[in-house]
Amino acid sequence: MPQLKYLVIYLSLVVALVLMILPLPDWVQMYRPNWVALALIYWSMALPKHVGLWFAFFTGIVLDTSQGTLLGQHTLALVIVIFINLNFYQRIRVLALAQQALYVLFLLLINQVIIVWVEGILGRPTPVFGFFGAPIVGMLIWPWVFVVLRDIRRKSMPG
Amino acid sequence: MQIRLQARGASLQALFLIGFSIAMMVVDHRFQHLEVVRTNISLALSPLRFLVSLPATTGNWMNDWFTAQTELLEENAALKADGRILNARLQQLEVLAEENARLRKLLGASRKIADDVIVAELLSVDQNPYRQLIEINKGSSDGVEIGHAVIDDFGVMGQVIHVNPQSATTILISDPAHAIPVQFIRSGTRSVAFGRGSTRQLELRYLPATADIKIDDELVTSGLGGRFPANYPVATVTAINEDRVRGFVSVLAEPKARLDSSREVLVIKPRF
Repeated sequence: MPQLKYLVIYLSLVVALVLMILPLPDWVQMYRPNWVALALIYWSMALPKHVGLWFAFFTGIVLDTSQGTLLGQHTLALVIVIFINLNFYQRIRVLALAQQALYVLFLLLINQVIIVWVEGILGRPTPVFGFFGAPIVGMLIWPWVFVVLRDIRRKSMPG
Repeated sequence: MQIRLQARGASLQALFLIGFSIAMMVVDHRFQHLEVVRTNISLALSPLRFLVSLPATTGNWMNDWFTAQTELLEENAALKADGRILNARLQQLEVLAEENARLRKLLGASRKIADDVIVAELLSVDQNPYRQLIEINKGSSDGVEIGHAVIDDFGVMGQVIHVNPQSATTILISDPAHAIPVQFIRSGTRSVAFGRGSTRQLELRYLPATADIKIDDELVTSGLGGRFPANYPVATVTAINEDRVRGFVSVLAEPKARLDSSREVLVIKPRF
């Protein structure tokens, strides 16, 4: 049932989006992990045939709209990250969770660098230190994201 | 062979999408064509926004519901007293406004006295730590347009930069990408106040060292530039830094509006 499959993926991305726009105090804001990127990395690792570059593209546009960033900013970052992931997922999928988390940190850093570069090109001041916070938090929660989404996938898409 | 072809297909696709994203950013930065896309997706996302603001809204509602009667009575009395004082002041003001209008007529100057105002409420705040944006609950169906000034009861908050049918995005004067033309009330010096990304600070750069500025000077909108109507309070001077080498003064000022805590705001429709 491909429809159900997509429904589950969409739902998980919607939840990730809600986590992204949930209001937080200023000092936590800097450390908010990119939930949408985490979810997207998981799905493109688990179901690369279903969640590919176009999926990343449209998710990015929605994320850009909800974040008030330039249309294309998160899109560019997500497309590049998912492209890298599509080239490596077969080798990464079999690793232990801790090793996977390091790889995810690498992806999230690329994601963050692209977003901050665009901000820089636009001439907006960008924080230097706070900038590493979000990817590191993302790395730390990756094992949980992975386990939760894997269980959801196994329950909802047998076989 | 098959696999290699697939890989090449994916690379081409990735290149295409990367190019497309960059083109989209350029277009979005320079022109207004993508506003439609943004508006439609924003509209589709509004249930999510509602969902996110639900806990806060319910909290407020519960709070209102369980407020003790004595508290309400006290508040009522205080509000009545406030109302009386405000009414008294308003009478004076009406007299002054009339006198002002008469004098202006005498002078032959035609200038608006009051602007039209739309009352709006805050929907959500600033999802991006690099920017200072707020979402308000009035949009193009209520007459809000891009460029309208937004104020609270203390001073100027910002201006509208995106309009959806039921909501609008407002950039605060403290956003690093925002600048507002201002004037010192006391000395009449004109300048431009830049945001610095903090809700408690604006910066006025490159004022001449001879400018007559003191701490606690009040800044109002100058009305130049045509975006903000003139004479609304903006900020109070908190620090003056002299750059003796280059002969400039830069001034830090604290916004009057409560940028981080106001929930009710007014959108001003300028009458020209």
